[in-house]
Amino acid sequence: MSNTAAEQATAVPRVVLTGIVKTYGGVRAIRNADLSVAPGSVHALVGENGAGKSTLIKILAGAERADAGSLQFNGEPVSIGSTTDAIGLGVQTVYQEPQLFPELSVAENVFVGRELRKGVRVDWAGQAEQMSSLLETVGLDTDIATRTVGALSIAQQQQVSIAKALAGEARVLILDEPSAILTDAEIDVLFAVIHRLTATGVSVIYISHRLDELFRIADVVTVMRDGETIATRPIGDLTVREIAELMVGGALAESRTDVEATRGDVVLDLEGLTLQGFFSDVSFRVRAGEIVGLYGLIGSGAGEIASTIYGMQRPTGGRMLIHGSPALFHRPSSAKKRGIHLLPANRSAQGSFSFQSIAFNITIGELQLLSRIRGWVERRIERDIARDFISRLSVKTPSERQPISAMSGGNAQKVVLARQLVNRPQLLVLVEPTQGVDVGAKEEIHRIIDDLASEGTAVLVVTSDLGEVLRISDRILVVRSGEIAHEFTADATQVEILAAAAGETHESGENP
Amino acid sequence: MTTVTRESPAAPIAKRILPPPVTGQELVLVGVIVVLWVLLGIFTPSFLSPSSIQPLLVSVAPIALIGVGMTFIIITAGIDVSVGGAIALCAVVTAKLLVNFDVPLIVAVAVSMLLGVVLGLINGTLIAYGRVHAIIITFGTANIFQFFALRVFGSSTVNGIPSTLDVFGRGEAGRTLGVPHSFAITLVIVVLAWWYLRNTAGGRHLFAIGGNANAARLAGVRVQPRVVLAYAVTGALVGLGACFFIASGTSTLDQGVGAGRELAVIAAVVIGGTSILGGRGSVIGTLLGAILVQTVNSGVTQLGWPSQLANLFVGIFIIIAVGTDLLRERTRRSRA
Amino acid sequence: MSGLTTQTVPRVKSQGQKRSIVGRALEALLTQRVVLLAVLIVLVVAVMTVLDAAGALSGSYNSDYLAAALINAVPLAMLGLAQLGVILSGRGGIDLSVGSMVSVTGIAFGMSYGLWGWSLPVAMIFAVVLGGVLGGINGGLVAFVGFPPLIATLATFYAYRSIALVWSGQKPVNSTEIQSFYSAAKAIELPVIGSYLPLVPLGIFTFLIPVVIVVWVLLNKTTFGRRIYALGTNDTAASWAGINVRPNRFAVYVLSGVISGLVGVVTVAQFASARPDAGTSGNGMALPAITIAVLGGVAITGGIGRVSGVVLATILIVWLNAGILLAFPGNDGVQVQLLALGLVLVFASLLNGLTKRKYGGI
Repeated sequence: MSNTAAEQATAVPRVVLTGIVKTYGGVRAIRNADLSVAPGSVHALVGENGAGKSTLIKILAGAERADAGSLQFNGEPVSIGSTTDAIGLGVQTVYQEPQLFPELSVAENVFVGRELRKGVRVDWAGQAEQMSSLLETVGLDTDIATRTVGALSIAQQQQVSIAKALAGEARVLILDEPSAILTDAEIDVLFAVIHRLTATGVSVIYISHRLDELFRIADVVTVMRDGETIATRPIGDLTVREIAELMVGGALAESRTDVEATRGDVVLDLEGLTLQGFFSDVSFRVRAGEIVGLYGLIGSGAGEIASTIYGMQRPTGGRMLIHGSPALFHRPSSAKKRGIHLLPANRSAQGSFSFQSIAFNITIGELQLLSRIRGWVERRIERDIARDFISRLSVKTPSERQPISAMSGGNAQKVVLARQLVNRPQLLVLVEPTQGVDVGAKEEIHRIIDDLASEGTAVLVVTSDLGEVLRISDRILVVRSGEIAHEFTADATQVEILAAAAGETHESGENP
Repeated sequence: MTTVTRESPAAPIAKRILPPPVTGQELVLVGVIVVLWVLLGIFTPSFLSPSSIQPLLVSVAPIALIGVGMTFIIITAGIDVSVGGAIALCAVVTAKLLVNFDVPLIVAVAVSMLLGVVLGLINGTLIAYGRVHAIIITFGTANIFQFFALRVFGSSTVNGIPSTLDVFGRGEAGRTLGVPHSFAITLVIVVLAWWYLRNTAGGRHLFAIGGNANAARLAGVRVQPRVVLAYAVTGALVGLGACFFIASGTSTLDQGVGAGRELAVIAAVVIGGTSILGGRGSVIGTLLGAILVQTVNSGVTQLGWPSQLANLFVGIFIIIAVGTDLLRERTRRSRA
Repeated sequence: MSGLTTQTVPRVKSQGQKRSIVGRALEALLTQRVVLLAVLIVLVVAVMTVLDAAGALSGSYNSDYLAAALINAVPLAMLGLAQLGVILSGRGGIDLSVGSMVSVTGIAFGMSYGLWGWSLPVAMIFAVVLGGVLGGINGGLVAFVGFPPLIATLATFYAYRSIALVWSGQKPVNSTEIQSFYSAAKAIELPVIGSYLPLVPLGIFTFLIPVVIVVWVLLNKTTFGRRIYALGTNDTAASWAGINVRPNRFAVYVLSGVISGLVGVVTVAQFASARPDAGTSGNGMALPAITIAVLGGVAITGGIGRVSGVVLATILIVWLNAGILLAFPGNDGVQVQLLALGLVLVFASLLNGLTKRKYGGI
C-alpha cells in the first residue's frame, strides 16, 4: 500500500482533527489529540486500553462532543454535533456489536431507513442493483442478499455492517477492532474488502490491538498514549516492537517481585484443554498461593479458557484436574462446589444485580451460608457478612442496603469481587478484574488479590490490561489465537509481552 | 466469510430481495388444514357442504381481520389485549346507531371504524410515548373500553337491530356466488396488508422496529409514529370486525360480544407463525391460523364431540406451532 | 466510559439531606409503593365514609361491610401472589392460565370430595397437586423448552379451560358434601376478641393468610426467594453466580399452579358448587390477578415486587369496589368497578415508568 503514500501526502486530507480535548467529570480522557487522514488510505489507530482511542472515534462519529479543538473535512472547517451530522459528512462507523436486524434479509438491513422508493413501494430492483456492487465490494456472494442476517456468521454480519455503512455513502469508514472476532481466513477477506474500498477513495480508520496485522493493511499508524497522540508514522518506518514501545512509553511498570510467596500444591492443572473454535491444546498449572496472569487481546480465547474452567461451556477436548483429580464441570454450580470461583468480565451484564442491595449482591453466590438451617436466609447473618466485606474491601457506601446501581464502578466491582470471597475459594479466576474502575480502586483490588494469594489461594487473572498483568502476576502466559504463545516470568517487560501477544513472530525479525 | 466474489461483474440479483412470499410454516398450515378438511369430510358427510363451509368462513372473517392488525402490532414486539373490550364498544355503539337512527350501512361502518381508530390511538400513544409495557397498558384500557361498552348497553341486550349489516352476515344477503362477503373483504385486506408489509418502506420498518428498536432509530426509522400507526390500524380493523360480529349474529347483540376475542385473535396470530418477540410475522399465516382454529371449532361440533374440546386442540396447536419454531431457531443458531 | 464517570455520588443520599419534608414525602410516596397504596386505602375509606355520612351511599360503608367485602380478596390476593412469583422471575414471566387452572382444580376437588367420597384433606391435596402438575407443564415449556411465557400460558389457558369443561360435562359439580363445605367460606367471629371486631370471612384465615405467610417466607426468608429475585433481576449474572436458572424458573410456575389449586378449592366453597368456568367466566381470573400485581408495584420486567404491595393492592381494589357498589347501586356498580380497575392500572403503570425515570427504581 505504501506505493501510493507519496500521492496521499500531497492531497488535501479527508479529515483533520486538531487539538482535541475531552474531559469527563474532571477526568481528562483526551489531553491533546491530532489526527489527519488522507483520502484512500488506511490509517491505523493504536494504543493501550484507556489511551483515548475510543473517545477520539466517538468524537469523530458524533457520539461525543469535544471540549476543545477543531475539525476539517476535505479542507473545510466543519462541526459535528450529532451522529446525524457525522453521517451527513460520510463518516460511518462499524462497531464490534453489529447493529443489525436478525430477521430481515441482508439487502433490507443495508437499506433500512433509507429505502429507495418507486411511488409508495420500495424500489427492490433499484436496491438490488446497488446491492450487487455493494456485496461485491465487501466480498460477499450476491446470493446472500436474500438470506436473513440472523442465519449468517459473525464475520458475514460484519461484512453486512460494512455494506450498510457504504450504502450510506461512506467517505470515512471507522472500523473498531474488526479483526478481534474473526479467524485468519476471515481476516484475509476483510483486508481484501478494505483494499477495494481504499481504491475507490474511501478513507479507513482502523483500530486494532493486533499489531502484526497492521503491517499488512495500514498505510499510516498513529499511536495514542494517556490521551495524547504521540506519534504518526508511515507503517514501513516501524516494527512491531517499536510500536509496542511507543504505546507503553518509557514508563516502567511495577512488577510483582516484592512478594515472597510460599507455593503450595498444584490446584489447577489443564492438560490440552480445547474448545473448538475458541482455543486449543491449552496446558498450564496454577499452584496454591500463586498468581498466574493470562494475557490476551480481545478475541484471543483467554476469556473462553476462563469460562470453560468455570463450567460455562463444555470443552471439546483435553483434561482438567483439580487438586490432582479429574474434574470437568457442566455448570458453574458444580465448579463452585469444588472451590472454583470466577469474577466475570462484564460487570453490568454478568456480574451485578442492579437494583438489588449491596448485601444481596455480596451474598447471592453463597446462600447456603446465610443460615445453619438449609434453604433458610437470616437477615442478621446476611448483614454481618455484607458489613464484614464492606469494611475488609473498603467499599464506600453509607449502608449495605444501598442498591448496587447507585455505586461507582470501582465500588460496584469490589462488591462483585466480595461475592467470590464470601466462601474462600481454592482457585479464584478473575476476568478483567479492574475494567472500568478508577485508579485508586484498581490499586486496592490488586492489593486484595495479593493478600488472597499470600493466604494460599490459587489465582488466575485473565486480562487485556498490560500494566495489570505485570503488576500482579507471578507468571504470565500470553494467549494468542487460542493458544498459549509465550510464558514469561514476573520480570518481563511490557514491550516483550505486548509484542508476543500482538504477534511479533510475523513481522519484526527479532524472534528470540 | 464464505466467499470472495468472482472477478466478472456480479450478476444482477434476482428481484427477489426478500424472503419467499410464503413461508414454510404457512405451507405446513395449509397442509394441516387440507388434511383436517379431508378427514372431516370423510367422517362427517356434511362438513364439506356449502352450508357448513360458509358459516365457517363467516366466523373466520372477524378473527382474521383483527388478526391482521394484531400481526402488525406483534411484529413491532407489542401486543394488544384490549381488542375484546374495543370490539364490544364498537359493536354496541354501531348497534345502537342502527336501532335508534336507522343509519345507512356506510355510516354505520364508518362510525365503527372511526371509533376503533380512536381507541387504537389511545393505546398506541400510551405505549409509544408513555414508554409503558404494551401488555399492561392494554390490560388497563381493556377494562376501560369494557366499561364504556357496558354503559352504552345500559344493562340489557340491544334488540331489534335492523338488517342493514346483513351484507356481512351468514344469510343469503351476505354472499355472492356462494362466497361470504365478510370473508371476501377479509381476504382483500389480508392481501393488501401482505403487500404493505412486504413492499413498502413503512411495512418493512415495522419488522425493523420489532427486531431491534434502537438500531431502527439509529438507522433513521421514526419508531414512535410507526408504533402508533400499528395500533390505530388494529383499531380500524376492530371497528370493521365489530360490524361483522353484529351481522353474524341475530338481531340481538349481547354484552358478551367481545369477551375472550383478544385471546382468540392472538392465538390465530401465533399459530400463523408470527413471533411474539417481534421482528417476524405474516398476515397470511394469521389468516391460516384463524381458519385452523375455526375448523377445529366447527369440526369438533360436527363430530358430535363436546364442543369445549376444541379449545384443547387450540392450545395444542399453539404449542406445536411455537414449539417447532423454537426448535428450528435452535438448530439454526447451533449451525451458525 | 464507565471508568471515566466513576465520580457519581449515590444520588438518593445527597439529595435527601437538603430537601424539604414535602419533597421527601413525595419521594416516599412514589418510590415506596406500599406507602402510596396505604395512603390510597386511607383516602378511599375516608371518601366513602364521608359519602356515607352525607347519605350518598345506598348502604352503610362501615367496618362490618368492609370485613364482609374481604371475601373477594381471597382469590384475588392469592392469584396476585401467584403472578408475583412468576413475574418476579423475569424474561417476560406471566401466567395467563391461572383462571383455567382454578377451574380444573375446582372440578377435581368437587369430583373427588363431592362425588367420589374422598375425605376433605385428601381431596384438597389432590386439587393442589394437580395444580402443581398443571403449573409444572407451564414451567417446563417456559424454563426448559424456552417458550415465551405469554404464549405457553395462553396455550394452556385454552387447554386447561377445555379440560375443565369437558371433564365436568359443562355442568357444575354439586352434592350435599360440597354444599355443606360452603360453611368454610362463611364469616366467623374470632374467639375471645371477636365480639369487639366485625365478622371476618373464614376464608381469610383458612386460605389467604396461610398463603400470604408462605409466599412471604418463601420470597424473603429462603434461599429460593433470593434466587428468584436474582434471576429476575439479571439471569445472566445469576448463572455466572452459580445459580441453576432453569429449575428455579420452573419452580415459580409450579408455585403458581399450587396456589391456583388452593383457589380452586376456595371457589368451590364460595359458590357451594364446583363450576367448570369458575376461573374463566367473563374476564377470567388472570387479568385481575395481573392487575393486582402491577398495581402492587411488581415490575413486569422482573426482579422487583413485594408481597406487602400485592396484599395492599388487593385491599385497595376490594374496598374501592365495595364502595363503588354502594355509590352506584345495581349493575352500574359492577361497570364502574371495571372503569376503576382500568384507570388504576393505567395510572399505576404510568407511575411506575415515571418513578423509574425520576428516581431510578420503584
